[in-house]
Amino acid sequence: MNEEEKSLQNLLAYKPHLETISKKGIALIVFLLLVILFGVVCLYTQVTEGHVVTGMRDNVVWGLYIVNFIFFIGISYAGALISGILHLLRVPWRTPIIRMAEMITVISTMIGPSYILLCIGRLDRLPNLLLFGRIQSPIIWDVIAITTYLSGSIIFLYLAMIRDMALLRDNPVKTAKWRNPVYRFLAVRYKDTTKQKELLNVSTDLLSIVIIPLAILVHSVLAWIFGMTLRPGWHSTIFAPYFVVAAVYSGTGVLIMVMWIFRKVYHLEAQITKIHFNYLGIIMIVLGALYGYFTFSEYLTSWYGSIKWDMEVLFRLFSPNQYFLEFVFAVFIGVLGPIIIVTVPRFRNINTIAFAAVIAVIALWVKRYLIIIPTLESPLLPIHDLRPEYVHYSATWVEWGLTFAGIAMFILLFYLFSKFVPIIPVVRSGEEKDYSRLRKVVFEKQMKKVINENKKSGTIVTGIMILLILASSHYAMAQDDAKIQTVLKLEYFHADSVQKLSATLRAKVEGRYRPLANMEINFNFSQNSKETSMGNALTNEKGNVTILIPDDIISTGGDKGIYSFDASFSGKDNYDKATANTTMKPLRLEMSFFQKDQEKMVSLKAFENGKDNEWVPVENLEVQLYVPRTFSLLKVGQASITNGIASLAFPTSIPGNQMGYLTIVAKVEENSLYGNVEASGTINWGKPLPPLKIIKRGLGDTNAPLWMVYTLIVLLSLVWFHYMYVIFTVFRIRHLGKS
Amino acid sequence: MKSRSSNRRNFLKLGIAAGATALIASGGNLISAIASTENKETGEKIKLLTPEGKLVEVDKGHMCCQPASNLEAREGLPDKKMVMVVDLAKCRNARKCLEGCQKMHFLPPHMEWIKFYLMRDSEEMSPYWFPKPCLHCNNPPCVKVCPVGATFKRTDGIVLIDNDRCIGCKFCMAACPYSSRVFNWEEPKMDKSRKPGTYSPETSTPPKLGTVSKCDFCPDMVRKGELPSCVTSCPNGVYYYGDKNEDAVTNGTETVRFSELLETRAAYRFMEELGTEPSVYYLPAVDRAFEYQVGFEGLSEEEIALYKNEARITE
Repeated sequence: MNEEEKSLQNLLAYKPHLETISKKGIALIVFLLLVILFGVVCLYTQVTEGHVVTGMRDNVVWGLYIVNFIFFIGISYAGALISGILHLLRVPWRTPIIRMAEMITVISTMIGPSYILLCIGRLDRLPNLLLFGRIQSPIIWDVIAITTYLSGSIIFLYLAMIRDMALLRDNPVKTAKWRNPVYRFLAVRYKDTTKQKELLNVSTDLLSIVIIPLAILVHSVLAWIFGMTLRPGWHSTIFAPYFVVAAVYSGTGVLIMVMWIFRKVYHLEAQITKIHFNYLGIIMIVLGALYGYFTFSEYLTSWYGSIKWDMEVLFRLFSPNQYFLEFVFAVFIGVLGPIIIVTVPRFRNINTIAFAAVIAVIALWVKRYLIIIPTLESPLLPIHDLRPEYVHYSATWVEWGLTFAGIAMFILLFYLFSKFVPIIPVVRSGEEKDYSRLRKVVFEKQMKKVINENKKSGTIVTGIMILLILASSHYAMAQDDAKIQTVLKLEYFHADSVQKLSATLRAKVEGRYRPLANMEINFNFSQNSKETSMGNALTNEKGNVTILIPDDIISTGGDKGIYSFDASFSGKDNYDKATANTTMKPLRLEMSFFQKDQEKMVSLKAFENGKDNEWVPVENLEVQLYVPRTFSLLKVGQASITNGIASLAFPTSIPGNQMGYLTIVAKVEENSLYGNVEASGTINWGKPLPPLKIIKRGLGDTNAPLWMVYTLIVLLSLVWFHYMYVIFTVFRIRHLGKS
Repeated sequence: MKSRSSNRRNFLKLGIAAGATALIASGGNLISAIASTENKETGEKIKLLTPEGKLVEVDKGHMCCQPASNLEAREGLPDKKMVMVVDLAKCRNARKCLEGCQKMHFLPPHMEWIKFYLMRDSEEMSPYWFPKPCLHCNNPPCVKVCPVGATFKRTDGIVLIDNDRCIGCKFCMAACPYSSRVFNWEEPKMDKSRKPGTYSPETSTPPKLGTVSKCDFCPDMVRKGELPSCVTSCPNGVYYYGDKNEDAVTNGTETVRFSELLETRAAYRFMEELGTEPSVYYLPAVDRAFEYQVGFEGLSEEEIALYKNEARITE
């Protein structure tokens, strides 16, 4: 039998699966659609009500979704590495399993990223990733890497399908005839000419070379989402290779599971043989051992170093009432189980290897859970939100619903795809001659018709968690019936030739004086025991009200040069009335600057009204020196004026503006005789502000460091150049088919 | 009479000024608020200092206070570098700062931008209260990882979040080693008796569903020359806030040289070893004003138990 006949025979064997669908198949599709529909309900709930419907909270900000994300991206490895490496090494037994591996890659790379979308609080703002994307963020790395990886995987899957498409074009399906034009289109006029064959082989080789490092990069980038944070259990250099190994391990496991299922359901016993299970089983346990080694290395390093925070995460993993069981399962059973099953000949058969794969896959899912949740539950600072859902993560029905919906989607896509394209490549290319020798069962007859119903059925149990949110109670303070004591303070201010009165009203509430706003304050000026009203005004939110003292009051001369003012609050609501008074004697405060022996000196002069209404030097007066800052005045010195004059050194190293200018304010404060008087001036005695250093490109800036930009451009153009070349080749194949 | 636009033009001519003095009590570098053109003139004048040392009068309406737009909020206040100093010796876990903060930012009761810890590094040491706002790191791990630049570091040292751009991926929350960030898991339950103004990253109000929020160091208040609510509501003057470039910080009652305070009180930054370079400095709890037990007042049994457990206090 030559190659061509063999291919045709293979196709005829598979064709019933393409042309018909069993009742069980329809039932499966309906069931899967129901699960997906439930997932849609969950998604709707999450979008409309917010992420509060999930178990995620401020500490465990990511939950099942990110676990599923890592899981699906992890299993996508099956295609990339298994098919890529097996293809490149020309491993003879690869053909029947290679398409399944590639399909796992494509489908899980489509489903995986949707889980990261579920972690996003505002799906409506997704375009921001394109509008404002920053390549410093590992999330953007992931977006770029995964889209590139998915594109490559689809091209790779398609390349490997062209020969089958050509065969299907030449042998059209009898039912569902609408498909035939699709097959014809996808077959790109492939006629297996020498030139076409060569082009196709070269492109496939090229792409499998590109896809391997790309796959490693994708999973490294995924690990770096966690590795780049300063969190115990995540911030580890081993993370990228660790994720890569764990991913291939779980990917191989899923591939074995898929092989087992299709072998049973489609009766592919003749094509998928024990050899495939044995070889893949061995690959799987080698990876499992590597994964175990990485895990051991990771935990041993943290435990030995025993940094406080690392120990906290380890404590959670080792505590029987926390994650110990999961830890034992994910690390010990998940590694040793498959190894024992596959290495001991007595245990080793197709079913046990598939079982070992199930253990590995579930263990790896649990391991991802253990990577994410315990670390997030162990922030560097303790959690103080006492609501239980803030302390301990537990996934809600919404998260479980969407998890199962994802798995259902995976199965559904796989099933539908297997109804469209042979799940096992039907066309054997020349280099796989050895394959027939390896087979123990020779393919002789057409496939038996599916008669026996498979009695196995599975039930999916959904765990539903109901979280009670405890409403906090507020305690209202009982109001006192008695009058609330109030205090009024009246001060006189004189600055920049403006004289004013400032009154502040406070009430004693709960033992503290708090400002009273919107209260009316009356101001009076008294002279020779005669009161003149100066009007009234409302307090502001700080309880303060300021009025200017009119010139006609100043010109009265007061009582022998002393002015008396008072303010009153007549009480309102529960607030008691209050009064305050102040007296003032006009003071002239002057400030000047001079330099003496390199020293910067401030000279202060103060005069008061003498007997004959002339200005005479003040004998004794305390003056404070300030520099205004953003919120308040910074005290820089004080001086005692004697006989009307004082001078003091201005401190160096007080910052000014860019040119060193600053304002200096001299103040007489709350003086019983003069009130508050100030004088100010500006001078360039400050320390000039150093010019702002702007780093334009950095991890925290809008623009990325140049090396990052260049690396990204180089990597992306390398990969996409190959994609483009391969796509161009496909067009050439099509063109060559014309003649 | 000058037209409004020419006023504004004149005003812009001043360029970036620093060391300004205002008519009313304190003054400062208020000029940065000029970006908002919507502001009305109030007739009230304040004095500003130009770089050349000239005092000019401007209308107070130009200074405040339309909230900065989302793009304007990305620029830091010119020539400023905001810092905070927390005096642990004076803290007694009164939580008034949090109350003030929550009121000011319309936060629901459980959303805490300031968190309180009872610290005790080892059993030989004595416990002390440790309030922690966002530390506004100079090398912020949260800003690095943001995929869309929704959280950003400004030239004035403040790390803000643009809640109109945030996609809610929570990567920043996972990246922050200090648990400073919180998420709006559901439609924020707001105090309906008061109305928040229009949203600005500088005011961080109103909070938005599905986005991250945190302590914002109140740049809107800085623009007005006013102190953040946590500083003013603290009964014990624990928080000192100010501009490092002016070498001055204040807790509302006293104003001190920032450099002197750090020197004389042996200040430190929290978890300096992480390399995050926080803008918040802590003064060690030396000569404490309160026994740590005072801090248990008003707490539930559960909370007290949690704190005691955390600080390994066995009684």
